[in-house]
Amino acid sequence: MLSWLDANALTMINGVALAAVLFLIAVGLSLIFGTMNVLNLAHGAVSLTGAYIGVALLDGSATMPNFIVAVLAAAAVGLVIGGVLAVMTSSVKDHLRQALLTLGVALIAGDVLREIFGADVESVPAPAGLDGAVSILGRQYPLYRLSIIAVSAVIAILLYLVLERTRVGAMVRATVADRAMVEAIGIRTNLVLGGVFGVGAALASIGGLLAAPILGAQPGLDDTVLLLGLVVVVVGGLGSLKGALVGALLVGQLQTLGVAMLSEYASFLLFGAMALVLLTRPRGLLPAKTGAH
Amino acid sequence: MSALPAGRGARRTRGLAPTALAAASLLMLAACGGGSLSEGGGGGEGDDSGPVKIGLALPLSGVYSSLGEDMEQGFQLYLDENEDQLGGRDIEIISADEGETPQTGVPATTKLVTQDQVSAVVGIVNSATALGLKDTFVQSEVPLIIANAGADDLTTPPSPYIWRTSFTNGQVGEALGAAVAEELGGDPIYLMAADYAAGHESVDGFRESFTAAGGKIAGEAFTPFGTTSDWQPYLNKVRSSGAKAVYVFYAGAEAVNFVKQYDAFGLGDNIQLYGAGFLTEGGALDAQGKSALGVRTSLHYSNLLDSERNAQFVEAYEAAYNEPPTVYAVQAYDAAAVLDQAIESAESTDGAGLAEALEGVGEIDSPRGTWSFDENHNPDQPYYQREVQEVDGVLGNAVLGELEQ
Amino acid sequence: MEARTVRDDPDAGADVDGEDTKTRDPDRDRGWSSRSRHVVLPRVALGVVLLVLASLPLFLAPYPIGLAGRMLAFALLVISVDLLTGVTGMPTLGQVAYFGTGAYTAGLVGIHITDNGFVQVAAGVGAAAVLALFTGAIAVRTSGIVFLMVTLAIGELVHQVADSLSVVGASNGLAGIPAVTLVPGGEPLLLAGYVYWWVLGVFLVGLLVAYLVLKSPLGRSMRGVRDGEQRLHAIGQHTYPVKLAAYVVAGGIAGAAGTAWVAQTRFFSPGDLGFDVAAFALLSVVLGGAGTLWGPAIGAAVVVLVRDWLSAYVDGKGALMLGVLFVVAVYTLPRGIAGARWRRRSATGRDTA
Repeated sequence: MLSWLDANALTMINGVALAAVLFLIAVGLSLIFGTMNVLNLAHGAVSLTGAYIGVALLDGSATMPNFIVAVLAAAAVGLVIGGVLAVMTSSVKDHLRQALLTLGVALIAGDVLREIFGADVESVPAPAGLDGAVSILGRQYPLYRLSIIAVSAVIAILLYLVLERTRVGAMVRATVADRAMVEAIGIRTNLVLGGVFGVGAALASIGGLLAAPILGAQPGLDDTVLLLGLVVVVVGGLGSLKGALVGALLVGQLQTLGVAMLSEYASFLLFGAMALVLLTRPRGLLPAKTGAH
Repeated sequence: MSALPAGRGARRTRGLAPTALAAASLLMLAACGGGSLSEGGGGGEGDDSGPVKIGLALPLSGVYSSLGEDMEQGFQLYLDENEDQLGGRDIEIISADEGETPQTGVPATTKLVTQDQVSAVVGIVNSATALGLKDTFVQSEVPLIIANAGADDLTTPPSPYIWRTSFTNGQVGEALGAAVAEELGGDPIYLMAADYAAGHESVDGFRESFTAAGGKIAGEAFTPFGTTSDWQPYLNKVRSSGAKAVYVFYAGAEAVNFVKQYDAFGLGDNIQLYGAGFLTEGGALDAQGKSALGVRTSLHYSNLLDSERNAQFVEAYEAAYNEPPTVYAVQAYDAAAVLDQAIESAESTDGAGLAEALEGVGEIDSPRGTWSFDENHNPDQPYYQREVQEVDGVLGNAVLGELEQ
Repeated sequence: MEARTVRDDPDAGADVDGEDTKTRDPDRDRGWSSRSRHVVLPRVALGVVLLVLASLPLFLAPYPIGLAGRMLAFALLVISVDLLTGVTGMPTLGQVAYFGTGAYTAGLVGIHITDNGFVQVAAGVGAAAVLALFTGAIAVRTSGIVFLMVTLAIGELVHQVADSLSVVGASNGLAGIPAVTLVPGGEPLLLAGYVYWWVLGVFLVGLLVAYLVLKSPLGRSMRGVRDGEQRLHAIGQHTYPVKLAAYVVAGGIAGAAGTAWVAQTRFFSPGDLGFDVAAFALLSVVLGGAGTLWGPAIGAAVVVLVRDWLSAYVDGKGALMLGVLFVVAVYTLPRGIAGARWRRRSATGRDTA
């Protein structure tokens, strides 16, 4: 047992780091679905946009202030894209038509990004100071991955506090639970929901940028990220913050510990596990408490 | 999840609108003209006047499009150097987008043959697409000059209509095996590749020559192709296996992420990384940056290859495109050179005529060194051992020497 | 209730058109006044379409006829998606699994056993239906977005199997499939026009089967599942057998589409059953007008036409043009292609309804 732990402890830590990246990318998807009832298939494209913002602003090396500026820029761009998407989807209620619309947007965005940044794989540097490595259990481990865990944790806690402890959060939750009632008391739900869409997209964009030092930026990454994000939120429970976290942790371990233990079946792990979870717990591991969906 | 209940929708709408729609799309098709119940005269016209039509099937979209760009530039450079003529004839280029998979690549390339009636097609990056096209070319009697796809099966058994100016996956790995076995002197190696045909062929080729030269294998792993982004679990295994070196086959985004993580997890310091040269070629090396320093690979080209022919080529290429050439550009450049010779000697420039002339193509004076086709229509060419070094502040694949075969 | 559409979800409301159709629906179905027109016109239209489809090889060159054949094969796959998505209300991304099973089975039969086309289709449909029975038995226990994701998993898992199974050529694909023959010892169908007729035949039989299912008691039950699974439960009707039967039928039709595809391309690779094919198949249903069968078939044809034909004239922009098509369609065709005409009529006929 001890030797097993010794052999796999680093892999499990790495699984948490991967989960942190997945959480950042997926939580926006889940929020948008939970509050707006929109399945946003352009989510991967927004995320890739964030990564490319890193490519554009951080050439070769990044000081910490530069990196933070890039994160803010990614957030701003994500916010704008989210707002546009909120307006575009506001008149489209059917999930399948939303899929048609948002996948169309994703195809267009993918082409525009390739037109601007080319088809080559681009890499984004980790910020100076975090680009080194630390020694864990006698093995070298990249510091940046550890800091991602911290950043993700902070964002998760912030999101939780905003949603559970603030007036805005209460409005969002109320809107999810009973939109007509909230409108009846004179709150403009569209504004609330549009804001959520913007924040969700901004999170995707930030997630894409923070993941870029690990995943890079290239055409096709948007699809990969979208599929992973979908699996994470569906496994965890659509529309729930905790669900996205649990889903990300599970998928993170699957992609690391699972791969290490069952490398023969590595290609089947992700979707096999998703099918298993959905067939036993169709609403996901930690479904949203509120809302009719 | 539906729009309308079927009965209602169907009853109301089965009217003129859909008929008109169907008719309109058919009319669009009909504009292409013809009829398809008799033997089509595939394979271009054989007349000696007018331009020779050549199809260029390269990925212009999707994950391989950076390769497609390099190849297009290489092919175009050869035309530019020869006043847009090949074999003394004017050339008309018709291009098609190979895309990512056979789903788009096969129909787009088939169009070049059956619709545009080209005399030959150059290109094809994806091996599956090339395999899906093989029968079409053989039946239409039009030569396909493969300028990248490396599947071993493409040229075995050889066909008079399938030629290749690039490599076979097995060869690239095989070329390196004996040299690495000697360098390791009995220390074990770990083999790793993307889990698809090219990865397996490359590792098989390497393993064969490596073990034949007395090398020992510490273990092997094949990682899910296209979906792996994190190699830590595998790198952990490499460490535990006690291997002193690793041989890998990765390309594109996987190559970038793998090499960066290999360095970030500290394996680069004491476990030598070897690979098929695509690992550190072109855009991949740019994105890897210094994490790739010291990686050793085998390939049939490097832009740092020290020869007069290559120096002249690199200068022309950099002048035209403002970036150093890649192996992909050279493969397409050489495909143009092959066509140049073939058209020159061809009695007729239709597909069958060109295929016949291809048999007579002799040595190609290429930037990669002189080569000629072997009996399977693959290049019989030199392979080089390369190492990523910083030369004048720029990262490149310095040539350590030619590999003995 | 994970993923009913807004139309099915009284709490979410707000879709004016949805409410509109819902309230007007019963009257419409009882309004037989213009019945004769509705019977004659479609028959004429159907005849014209069939005639045009059948005569295509007479005037189309080999490349466009091949394109038309691929459109038909893909359209049949999309029809199978519509049977589940539009008719039964079970949105699916998994039909590529059965499409691929049909194609690989037909290809393997062609290489190893017989080049007889009928045997290949029978084998392909059988294999696809059997796989649909076993996978569907589990999958149809879910609904809505969960069903969508489970079927996505089925599609991806079969994709992974195809990618690693050497007997079907693994990632390089299954090549060397001989041309089909119709009678033992007969001439192989090599010319594009004859191959097209074979594909058209498979398409029409598949379409006919789908149509008959739609008109059968099973079809009624399938629509019942879509329009209110709870209601069926309430009156004591079990929906599970209905959903499973629909799933198996749709799987078989997707298998037939696979055999038609492979008869035409004589090559099949894992890329042919990837996520993008699954997504385009589902979106073709939405584009065409879910639940009408013929609408999605046209949607499928449009998607293939844009991706494979139009994109040849603007190199590397196929995906961009599909994207534009999808976005434009969402706003200009709120009921899909099939609903285009109906919508105009409803706008003018509002007073009389």
